[in-house]
Amino acid sequence: MISDDPRYMRELEQRLADAQATIDALLSGQIDAVVDSLTQTPLLLGKAQSALRESEERYRRIVETASEGISILDENARLTFVNRRFAEMLGYSVEEMLGMPLDTIVPESARAAAAQRVERSREGISQDVEVPFLRRDGSQIWIGLRTSPIRDSADRWIGTLGMSTDRTHYKAAEEARRASDAQYRQIVEATSDGIVTIDAQVRIVFVNHQLADMLGYEPREMIGASLFDFTSPAGRSTVADSLRTRRSGARGAFDTTYRHKSGADIPVNVANSPLHDADGRYIGSLKMVRDVTERNRLQSQLMISDRMASVGTLAAGVAHEINNPLAAVIGNLEYIAETVARPPGSEIATAHSDAWIIEEIREPLDDARNAAERVRFIVRDLKIFSRSSAKEVSGPVDVNAIMDSSLRMAWNEVRHRARLVKDLAEIPTVDANEARLGQVFLNLVVNAAQAITEGNAERNEILVRTRLEGERVIVEVSDTGVGIPAEIIARVFDAFFTTKAAGVGTGLGLAICQRIVTDLGGELTVTSEVGKGTTFRVSLPVAGKDEIADTVATPQSAPTSSRRGRVLVVDDDALVARTVSRTLAREHDVISVTAAREALERCAAGEKFDLILCDLMMPDMTGMDLHRELVISAPDQADRMIFLTGGAFTAQARAFLSDTPKEHLEKPFDPTNLRAIIQRFLR
Amino acid sequence: MARSPSDTGGLALRLYVAGSAPNSVRAIANLRALCEEHFAAATTVEIVDLLQEPERALADGILVTPTLLKLSPPPTRRVVGNLSDASKVLLTLVGT
Repeated sequence: MISDDPRYMRELEQRLADAQATIDALLSGQIDAVVDSLTQTPLLLGKAQSALRESEERYRRIVETASEGISILDENARLTFVNRRFAEMLGYSVEEMLGMPLDTIVPESARAAAAQRVERSREGISQDVEVPFLRRDGSQIWIGLRTSPIRDSADRWIGTLGMSTDRTHYKAAEEARRASDAQYRQIVEATSDGIVTIDAQVRIVFVNHQLADMLGYEPREMIGASLFDFTSPAGRSTVADSLRTRRSGARGAFDTTYRHKSGADIPVNVANSPLHDADGRYIGSLKMVRDVTERNRLQSQLMISDRMASVGTLAAGVAHEINNPLAAVIGNLEYIAETVARPPGSEIATAHSDAWIIEEIREPLDDARNAAERVRFIVRDLKIFSRSSAKEVSGPVDVNAIMDSSLRMAWNEVRHRARLVKDLAEIPTVDANEARLGQVFLNLVVNAAQAITEGNAERNEILVRTRLEGERVIVEVSDTGVGIPAEIIARVFDAFFTTKAAGVGTGLGLAICQRIVTDLGGELTVTSEVGKGTTFRVSLPVAGKDEIADTVATPQSAPTSSRRGRVLVVDDDALVARTVSRTLAREHDVISVTAAREALERCAAGEKFDLILCDLMMPDMTGMDLHRELVISAPDQADRMIFLTGGAFTAQARAFLSDTPKEHLEKPFDPTNLRAIIQRFLR
Repeated sequence: MARSPSDTGGLALRLYVAGSAPNSVRAIANLRALCEEHFAAATTVEIVDLLQEPERALADGILVTPTLLKLSPPPTRRVVGNLSDASKVLLTLVGT
């Protein structure tokens, strides 16, 4: 019997158990579908059916409301499904697109790439690309496309699912950004300014070619290094100051010095803007660096021009100043000549003794000498102002003396307008350049004079005061002129701002004055009241303890009882040569020649002199040439040269005097001084 | 996910489901958890969707889903339901 077979029994038991389990599962609701064995189709049970419908509905809704375009390609690259969004992107209706070959919506140029993508999908590769699509109207759009291969349950490739985003706007924006980037890069590389960005640790993040060239490096040598490696030691504190300012978030520009690879200092102007991250934290700064060597040169040129212009304007007045004493000199000398040249035998001559003549000419002689002294001062003042910048030495200077020179220069402007009141206190020296400080004072005094209407000199006053206030020397120039209206007082120091008629003022005077004073570490300020007058105030720091440098040796009392010396005088101006000879003839043997060549010949022939007084500037052979020749042919004589200078130096002469440690004497010279120098050489 | 049971000599299972119907989805999840916890990596599981391939279900004599079929090692065993009773499933699969 089959029923006795234990295997059959076990099988039957098992089936019963399975049936029981199936019933249990059914009863506990764990079954989704039952297979209808007659029709051979699965029948979904109620709950499963509705769940499936729900889930299908859910997916359909997702697909239709998706902002992405969704498409399905079959294995023949035909569209078997598109959602509405995808159809809209390409300008079709959903129905139109179904069954459409992919190539219809791909521009011809991109078809090969599209075919490759289908191939990769067949190989099972998902892709994420940005590609052009062709719209129905023939226009092109850029689409960000993500694709994944679709497989059936038997793992066969049956097509590609695509998710599309319209990238046209992004693409345009990106192209605009790229174009603008390129433009900025071009600007950065085309500008003549150096550009550098640094991080919060002052390391160089970017540097353009211009700045690298300016400093003699390659950009890659500079990137990563500290900016301080490229600043001069002097410039380091300005840079450090500026960095602190940047951190606090302020923009700004300042002058400093950078250092060239060769070690040379380069004056630069640096315009700065701080850089911040999205949270507003300081992350570094961007610097535009301009080489201002040329600007500085022009600026000092401008200062000299302005100074010369001032002097030029005052030339007429100065000529007047010279002519007065000159008239006195000539008149007095005439009188003396007449007095001593009475024809012999005339009755007056016999009536007057030599004693009478001496008495008669003493006063005119004194007057002539005093008048000549005045001319000498005026010429020395002029020299102060016309001194060029080639050697703008700064040193301790006597402010009162410079003010006196300036007042003498400006006297002709002042005299018809106001009384001049000087209140000069005893003050220490300040560190400055004579010519520049004189330029400032001259400007202030002339301005003061010009603020006063001509013709009422007795009722107007220009007050010049100097005094010490703590560690600063104060110079005030006040006038009783028209005053400056409040609305323009802030602009008086602006370059090219002027209220004077065209041709009278350049508008640079006060701007340059302020620049000069600021460069000296001082301040120039103004206070004014309309109708009452104006006061300009210069405040300068007191100098260190150095003595005032003086090119003219201070007169010494001539030591008595000295031997007669042999002196050679070389000057192309016979008048000067004769005068020097005459001055010295009583005490020394003086030989005077008017050509350097003759002096050279005498020395070469073996003549010896205790002293050679030689003019610096002479035609044919200059004093400098003579010195050079003597150094070779008669070095002991070269050592005994003293140069006489008239003050009108060429650049060459100036260089010679600063390079050669030789004494020089400025014309016109004081006879006492001259004698003292000669005595020194005789000892 | 579909794998042939002949791949390995280990435990071979086949689960019949009806699309993404609730008990079918639960059965898949329960089976996956069971496999991770109790069966070696060599275990192969094939999932057959009754809605996609009704003929295979008929061939295997499947009448309802979800049904889990143990193909090897013999003897063949089946568990009906969503496999939420883990101990009963384990007993059926490894007991005997």
